[in-house]
Amino acid sequence: MPIQYYIALASCLFCIGIVGVLVRRNAIIIFMCIELMLNAVNLLLVAFSKMYHGGAALSNATTTAGVDGQLFVFFIMVVAAAEVSVGLAVIVMMYRNVHSVDVNFLNRLKN
Amino acid sequence: MNAIILSAIWGVVLMFCSVLIKNKGVYRHIAALGLLVILAGNIHETYHGSFFNIDTHEMLRFSRFGLFFNTILLAATLLYVLLSGRDVEKAGGYVAEYFTLIFFVLCGASILTSFNTLLMLFIGIEILSIPLYILTGSDKRNLRSNEAALKYFLMGAFSTGILLMGIALVYGGTGSFMLEVPRSAIMGGYKGVSFLEVTGLLFLLVAMSFKVSAAPFHFWTPDVYDGAPSVFTSFMATIVKAAAFAAFLKLFEARVGDTSAAVDWKLLLSIIIVSTLLIGNVTAVFQQSVKRMLAYSSIAQAGFMLFAVFSLNDVAKEGLLLYATAYSLATIGVFAVLIKMKDVTFEGFNGLARKNPVLAATTTICLLSLAGIPLTAGFFAKFSMLSAVIKTGTYTWLVVVAVLFAAVSAYYYFRVIQAMYFKEGDAQTEEVTGGFKVLLIAVAALVILFGVQPQALLNWFYF
Amino acid sequence: MPLLNVLLTAAPAAASSASNYFPIGLQLLFAIGFVATMMVGTHLLGPKRRTGDKLENFASGIESHGDARQPMAIKYFLVAILFVLFDVEVIFFYPYAVNFRGLGWSGFWSVLMFVGFFAVGFFYIIKKGALQWED
Repeated sequence: MPIQYYIALASCLFCIGIVGVLVRRNAIIIFMCIELMLNAVNLLLVAFSKMYHGGAALSNATTTAGVDGQLFVFFIMVVAAAEVSVGLAVIVMMYRNVHSVDVNFLNRLKN
Repeated sequence: MNAIILSAIWGVVLMFCSVLIKNKGVYRHIAALGLLVILAGNIHETYHGSFFNIDTHEMLRFSRFGLFFNTILLAATLLYVLLSGRDVEKAGGYVAEYFTLIFFVLCGASILTSFNTLLMLFIGIEILSIPLYILTGSDKRNLRSNEAALKYFLMGAFSTGILLMGIALVYGGTGSFMLEVPRSAIMGGYKGVSFLEVTGLLFLLVAMSFKVSAAPFHFWTPDVYDGAPSVFTSFMATIVKAAAFAAFLKLFEARVGDTSAAVDWKLLLSIIIVSTLLIGNVTAVFQQSVKRMLAYSSIAQAGFMLFAVFSLNDVAKEGLLLYATAYSLATIGVFAVLIKMKDVTFEGFNGLARKNPVLAATTTICLLSLAGIPLTAGFFAKFSMLSAVIKTGTYTWLVVVAVLFAAVSAYYYFRVIQAMYFKEGDAQTEEVTGGFKVLLIAVAALVILFGVQPQALLNWFYF
Repeated sequence: MPLLNVLLTAAPAAASSASNYFPIGLQLLFAIGFVATMMVGTHLLGPKRRTGDKLENFASGIESHGDARQPMAIKYFLVAILFVLFDVEVIFFYPYAVNFRGLGWSGFWSVLMFVGFFAVGFFYIIKKGALQWED
């Protein structure tokens, strides 16, 4: 499949994530939308990696070109997990104090 | 390399200190000792090479600039721990862990000063940010601290998503994560600059603006800086921000040249700079709380530091080092006093000069440096930034704008000085020790020394 | 001056013109039109009887009461999060397992260092009592 399809799919997922972050009011759902953004990036990286690998493999069958893209995906997954653990802990901490995960409650600092 | 490895190891050591040592007062000294060791290791690396011989496959490249930057960050952290270490103990129940997280942040910062691939940029930024989310929320029972942590976390994760999208698109355009890609090596035979790379770099610009809190991506900064415990705000506003700027400069220095035919970076950056200066300075004028005013002023100072990214020449690099030093020194000094205040509004400072002249005098010197008054370090920092802009020969009107806003900034810094010296009042402070006062005087002396003799600092920076 | 004067010479010349997308556009139009017609049609034609019982939750004959979202012990959360963290870290073993032979001893020492840091973290959470189920 041509790379354009992957780029379009990844940009759609990414935009859904961004719109979700901007319009949703529930902290957990915002967080899920951020994860969606990260996964769109993962998809895109894997697609690019395959593209570069395919291009290089035509001339050299044992090439390792494009592998770095897939390795990057591993790093994104691990760092996202670390971020999840901290983020959920923050959300739980807030829930225990205000009994809500609605970000509209976040206006105490405005004044 | 020394700074990265030693700070990670020392973080782990402190982590276990929390299990093994029950006396809370000891952690501060262990942290200070660790910082001294790392600082010595980093200076050793600057002149004689690293202790560790690890093949990083060009993922990290240790330049003189990066190592000097590490030295500044480590020295600022040492000063911070010495001045405010006691207050870290009051922030919450997990003292050793707070110091651990500070060391992990330093590990991330030293990756950011030496990264050579976008992978390391990403890892560095995450190692820098994730501990900060925890530090922001360290005051668990305080709703403001909770709110700041959640906001910081959501915004930080969001900007990380944008950063990653940028990296992925740049990879799509060039086929490599390396910071500098030789155009001939790009696979697929594309010789020009592809659309993907340009879009990716625009995403990266947005994400980095988020991290350094440049307008229009600054809106999280005042809330987070205001809600976080003051001790950690001090750390965030100085060391973390300086490290993010080092990364910003490094990234754009490598990438702007190739893509300047496609995007007018100077125009984009000048828009960001002017709006940052405008929003930071004008909003700071209307604040009632000194802590929140300092948060806005840190946005305004970020506008000045962005001049380094704008100019991208040797003067700018030297200027960023100078600016990071001057700004960190002064901000750590002001915050050290602010933490001791019972009331952090402007009224809370009324009559401080009479009650505690040493605190008032040192705060005044630090505030003057932030405003960029001559004979303080801040003056030469601002001066070198502006001369870097003039050296580029374009957009010289930015200098006029910057000077105008520096004049505006003097207004709100002087409000604090006015409150301390010329208003009657009963400024309540916590108990301050003699050692704290001596250290504050040392900070003020350094601010003046670098202001009178900037050569003392600049002679030492040679690349 | 143009803000975004993108050099499009780099991108491969579009092999297809706009007319190639005509069938796709037609199909999209048809799909949306079909769905819209069907929805409007059923809405207009179908019989409607609104009674209170129909709007009740279906609960297999048992009266529903209370909220399903009961507060849970924070221990569950802690263990779940720690599981996620330690679970995902294992991902780095995959590239090593594939290149196990090729990386030789230097790769082995690197992985050992990684596992070492890992074990240190694990030791820390045990020492801190994060996995103690009884208080």
